[in-house]
Amino acid sequence: MNIGMERKEPSASQPPRRGVRIPGLLLEVRQHAPVWFQTIVLLCGVSVGLGLSFLILMAAGVPADGLVLEFKNIFSNTTNISALLTQLAPLLIVGLSAAVAFRVRFWNIGIEGQMILGSIAATAIAINDVGPEQWRLPLMMIVAAIGGMAWIIVPALLRIRFGVNEIISTLLLNYVAVNLLLHLLYGAWRDPQSNFPNSEQYGPAERLAQLGWESLTYALPLALLLTAFCWWLFSVSRFGFYTRVVNSNPKMAGAMGIQVVAVTLGAALLSGALAGIAGFTISAGVEYRLTQSFFLGYGFSGILIAFLARNNMIGAILVSLLVATFFIASQSLQVFYQVPGSIVQLIQAVIVISVAGFEFFNRFRVRLAR
Amino acid sequence: MTDFFINWVANIPGFAAPFALAALGLIISEKSGVLTLGAEGYMLVGALTGVGAVLLLGGYPIAALLIAAGVTGLFSIIFAVMSVTLRVNQVIASLAIIFLAQGLTSLVATRAGWTNVPIAGLGRLNVPGLSDLPVVGPVLFQQDIVCYLTVPIFVGVVYVLNRTMIGLKLRAVGDGPDAADAAGVSINLVRYGAVMVGAALVGLAGAYLSVGIAKLWVDGMSGGRGLIAIALVIFARWHPWRALAGAILFGGIEALIPRVAAIGLQVPQYFVMMTPYIATLAVMVWASTRGRERAAFAAPRALGQPHTREERH
Repeated sequence: MNIGMERKEPSASQPPRRGVRIPGLLLEVRQHAPVWFQTIVLLCGVSVGLGLSFLILMAAGVPADGLVLEFKNIFSNTTNISALLTQLAPLLIVGLSAAVAFRVRFWNIGIEGQMILGSIAATAIAINDVGPEQWRLPLMMIVAAIGGMAWIIVPALLRIRFGVNEIISTLLLNYVAVNLLLHLLYGAWRDPQSNFPNSEQYGPAERLAQLGWESLTYALPLALLLTAFCWWLFSVSRFGFYTRVVNSNPKMAGAMGIQVVAVTLGAALLSGALAGIAGFTISAGVEYRLTQSFFLGYGFSGILIAFLARNNMIGAILVSLLVATFFIASQSLQVFYQVPGSIVQLIQAVIVISVAGFEFFNRFRVRLAR
Repeated sequence: MTDFFINWVANIPGFAAPFALAALGLIISEKSGVLTLGAEGYMLVGALTGVGAVLLLGGYPIAALLIAAGVTGLFSIIFAVMSVTLRVNQVIASLAIIFLAQGLTSLVATRAGWTNVPIAGLGRLNVPGLSDLPVVGPVLFQQDIVCYLTVPIFVGVVYVLNRTMIGLKLRAVGDGPDAADAAGVSINLVRYGAVMVGAALVGLAGAYLSVGIAKLWVDGMSGGRGLIAIALVIFARWHPWRALAGAILFGGIEALIPRVAAIGLQVPQYFVMMTPYIATLAVMVWASTRGRERAAFAAPRALGQPHTREERH
């Protein structure tokens, strides 16, 4: 093909080794990187990201010893550890939500919108006292899952039917969901007692019960149960096998007789359901009402957790624990050093950039050019 | 009613310019094959830099706009290193850029005390003699400098893209990187340039939001406009003039929002505020249901694919 460009140098004409040339360095494609090597690369990425985040925080005026103290404090006593585990539960569930969607190459960036819809649905049950009291909580959880699914089925169908990019459609629906939430909180659902723009408090039957250790609720066992379910679904069941084929090659999956549309839609719906349940655990397990900002930051955290855990459901537990420490640490940093709450986003973004950058070493071997 | 109409139409350029400039910036970087979903982040960086520059310089909004464009261009080097040099998945890299920008702008604004500080922003520039014309005057000749310059910027970019060697190389890198590589074009150089120039335009759009329209900074003030610009690019099938038309359409919708209550329509406020996002979704569906003209066929062929010479077939 003549594209009318003057030739400068026959750059690719002599292939002594298969590699990209950077002056002084030679890059070779790795056919395969062993697991131990990938683990080291991941740990390096996380460490460098953490180091950079610390530097940014110090540049913002947080003293180094104060920073170390805040992180130490998180593990210093049982009250703080229970706060950490309470924070872990919704993070783990949104992490699962992202991982489930990414397993079929569905970029669900709309987790926050699905959380909002889930909580709106659960709150509708709670404040209207639907159903007998002993079935109230399970009912709230089910409608929360349905709310999340309702919010993802539109982008999922648009992508499957028309090829509409789901990254943009799910993100757009986040903004729609926020406006819907504000419409309810500033309108029909405004707390009649305090007149604040949040829903009235949930009754005792509408709150997740305490486990009996510190302030921990049933949200954590629920999150672990969901993790086990997702692990089973994707690592053991036939559905999981189908998703792996769809993920590696959708065309071949179709040729093999796998219902690609059904598998993709199923995983997307599960992702939305999980996000809805995550919203429910915050509303019914932490805040006991529907608030304006309960969902903030969870969307990106879910993506980060899935990304760092390589969409592995069990690995998500560890990464969620790491992210939960950021959430808790940033809460006290906000109080003591007047840094904004979005510092969590900043730290997570720096870690993603660092880890993604380090992945380069998984794919290429760097050699000195001779 | 005519007053209402003229008032509405006269406000459209101010609302359309940020969409148009951002979409144009995205077209530049995507034509080189780099999937750029981080527009929201670039807009925030541009918007904060604009306000910061006005506050530090004590005025000079036009200089502030240029500084904001430059700083956003430099900020986008992070994205270029990730997506071009390190070949990171461009969706992940874009998301990281959005949230990095959100966190960073919020941190810098809080630390510097720039949040919610009103500034003397960009003033209106009436064209002498023409601005007093009925109807046409307020619509076309009572705008600010960014609105006047948007169309010339489009002409310039379209000329460079379609009529110069640089534009040819850029399109070749985005459509057939292997061939361009074989022809001696430096893929990395072209993509770095396209990402940075594109980001600078998106940053200019963001700075116009803060310096030109709101005349202050609040956290997250881009409010999904970067996202709408991305959708506009798909809707316009990477064609600058169609993107301009789309921007005017969305500017029209945005300009209508504050006026809905004024004409006595009883639509709940938050439902009105949903309309740009729902309209964007509708536009995206429309763009992908047009048979052979579908967006998927119009995208640069190497969009989203990092170039690795040794992996080519």
